[in-house]
Amino acid sequence: MMRRLFEPATVEEQAPAGKVVTYALLALWSLVVLVPLYWVLITSFKGPGEVDNGPFYIPFVDFTPSLEAWDFMLLQNYTLGPYLNSVVVALASTLLAVLIGSLAAYALVRIRFQAKLAGVAVFLILLVAVIIAVATFGVQWEVAVAVAGALFLISLLTFVGRTRLALGNSDVEFWIISNRIMPPIVAVLPIYVMFQQLRLLDTQVALIATYTAVNLPIVVWLTRDFFAGIPLDLEESAEIDGASKFRVFFTIALPLVRSGLVATFLLVLILAWNEYLLALFLSNAKAQTMPVLVSAQNTTRGPQWWNMSVLIVVMIAPVVVIASVLQKHIARGLLVGAVKG
Amino acid sequence: MRVTLSQIHKSFGAVQVVKGLDLTIQDGEFLVLLGPSGCGKTTALRMVAGLESVTSGRILIGERDVTNVLPKYRDVAMVFQSYALYPHMTVAENIAYPLKLRKVPPAERDAAVRGAAAKVHLEEFLDRYPRQLSGGQRQRVALARAMVRRPSVFLMDEPLSNLDAKLRGHMRSELKRLQAELGVTTIYVTHDQVEAMTLAHRVAIMNKGVVQQIATPREIYEDPANLFVAGFIGSPPMNFLQGSLSGGTFAFGEGRFAVGVEGDRRNVTAGIRPEDCTVTSPSNGRISARVYSIELMGDHTLVTCQIGQEYLTVKADKLAQYAMDEPIGITFKDAAVFLFDSESGERIRSRARVDAMA
Repeated sequence: MMRRLFEPATVEEQAPAGKVVTYALLALWSLVVLVPLYWVLITSFKGPGEVDNGPFYIPFVDFTPSLEAWDFMLLQNYTLGPYLNSVVVALASTLLAVLIGSLAAYALVRIRFQAKLAGVAVFLILLVAVIIAVATFGVQWEVAVAVAGALFLISLLTFVGRTRLALGNSDVEFWIISNRIMPPIVAVLPIYVMFQQLRLLDTQVALIATYTAVNLPIVVWLTRDFFAGIPLDLEESAEIDGASKFRVFFTIALPLVRSGLVATFLLVLILAWNEYLLALFLSNAKAQTMPVLVSAQNTTRGPQWWNMSVLIVVMIAPVVVIASVLQKHIARGLLVGAVKG
Repeated sequence: MRVTLSQIHKSFGAVQVVKGLDLTIQDGEFLVLLGPSGCGKTTALRMVAGLESVTSGRILIGERDVTNVLPKYRDVAMVFQSYALYPHMTVAENIAYPLKLRKVPPAERDAAVRGAAAKVHLEEFLDRYPRQLSGGQRQRVALARAMVRRPSVFLMDEPLSNLDAKLRGHMRSELKRLQAELGVTTIYVTHDQVEAMTLAHRVAIMNKGVVQQIATPREIYEDPANLFVAGFIGSPPMNFLQGSLSGGTFAFGEGRFAVGVEGDRRNVTAGIRPEDCTVTSPSNGRISARVYSIELMGDHTLVTCQIGQEYLTVKADKLAQYAMDEPIGITFKDAAVFLFDSESGERIRSRARVDAMA
């Protein structure tokens, strides 16, 4: 009897007891995920009274739903602006990050890089020297950069080539991922100052550029394994057939990693869509995005839960739609039939 | 177009893979590079394709030096062992891909694709994807894609080795027919001696990065240049006996027989092909032996004979019947015996053989 509970009937099945545990855990996790969503949804149909006077969970029974908050946020307030900002910034930065990142990942997988360590060191020393010269000694920056550039070229032509130590592809890869190790809050002030100097604060361009740079390492690290999985024969065959490296990338490699690329696109899109910290610093009115607008509902009169909920619902909706549309493309087994019989 | 490889060396780090390869493939010739795995034949082919750079040496296609030319400018087509079909393209798109890259106008392209597909009997499959095809059909797509643009040279890297035995035999004859019809210079890499013997105009046998012999299949079989070639070609393989030569007699372990070569030397290997030997009565044989085992192969029987410590296989009639340990004699013609220096592996030329050939 006990054995029937704890041992599966066939090798493909789970034991009955295992099934119970599995589904119980799944149900619990579903609750954890779904209850907040439900809470947000019903709260968007509440007014201040329904929220403040106690926990009400069932519309029409516990409380009478109203469209007041929806009317206020979508019709009386200018929510469309931040919404469009979010769409433009998230889509543009994701497309750029996926394009540039997959190009970089492909190059890292298929081309051997050997940057001389001495060259990198000289570059960094000259960079610091330029900054000190410009900032402390008031040298004109054009002059400083020109001199440093010339010195760098001379060092490349003379001794750098003869040194042994070189950085390989794995070093480049580590450097790329290391950009994500640092918490963004560390970088946010320099980024702020940079865009201030460029007079690009509170523009979509600033957000797109920043998000692209921030998400690039993720794209590189996710897609490099997809590209590494393509049989080399396919690309060599294409090269013999007459394709350039870029042609091979766009007509052979990219279509073959489509499903992985779609998944990466989705992940990066969600990261960009939900990004709060950088948007808070880099935008205030014109380029404000949805997450900032949501947090702005925490007003001096206390958090406006109902307004916030409306914004959150309209924020979640497109992601759900895109995810379910793209899911079809995250198909496996695309490489079947490429090689071998 | 003629392909010339002169003094090609290739090293991967400290490992020398190809050592001083000199090879000229005539226009329209079907040349097979044959050798065991790791002998450098595939590397040699990849260097002709431009997928691998040469460490030193020169490669010419026609009169053009292509040593440092990118693959796409070499005007060669390659068929890979894995077929390397583009899985996201239909058969038609696969075949059209090289033409598309060459900006051939669509109408012309379609006609060429249909022509190539017809040559390999694929017309009905043009709209399918590679995953919907069998191994043999995929192989044909790869062939069609290679020949659709009429390249100067075909390069084939073990194209038949992923097919099952029956299909392989069929594709072999089709391949030979296609190559003859198209008349395109072909370099074909294989480790399968049957493919080499049946397909090639000339075979280049490689071992450890060095070409051992370049000759027609018949010459390679009947007049091997050294011990490696003699042992590599032929199934069942040539029998080898270790011994020494003195006064026109080859002596080994428990036997001796006259050979048409004068001179005294130790460390000699005598080779005799199983089909050149005949089993006779013990008194009539040039070597006396005992039957070790006998295997009926259908159209013939392999009789393994024991001579002291040595074994020798004889290809006998399918009706041959012997008991285990039955004493027998083995005979063969003088011309059937090849002598080699056991250390260098080089052939010790027999005057008798030269006379017999003349």
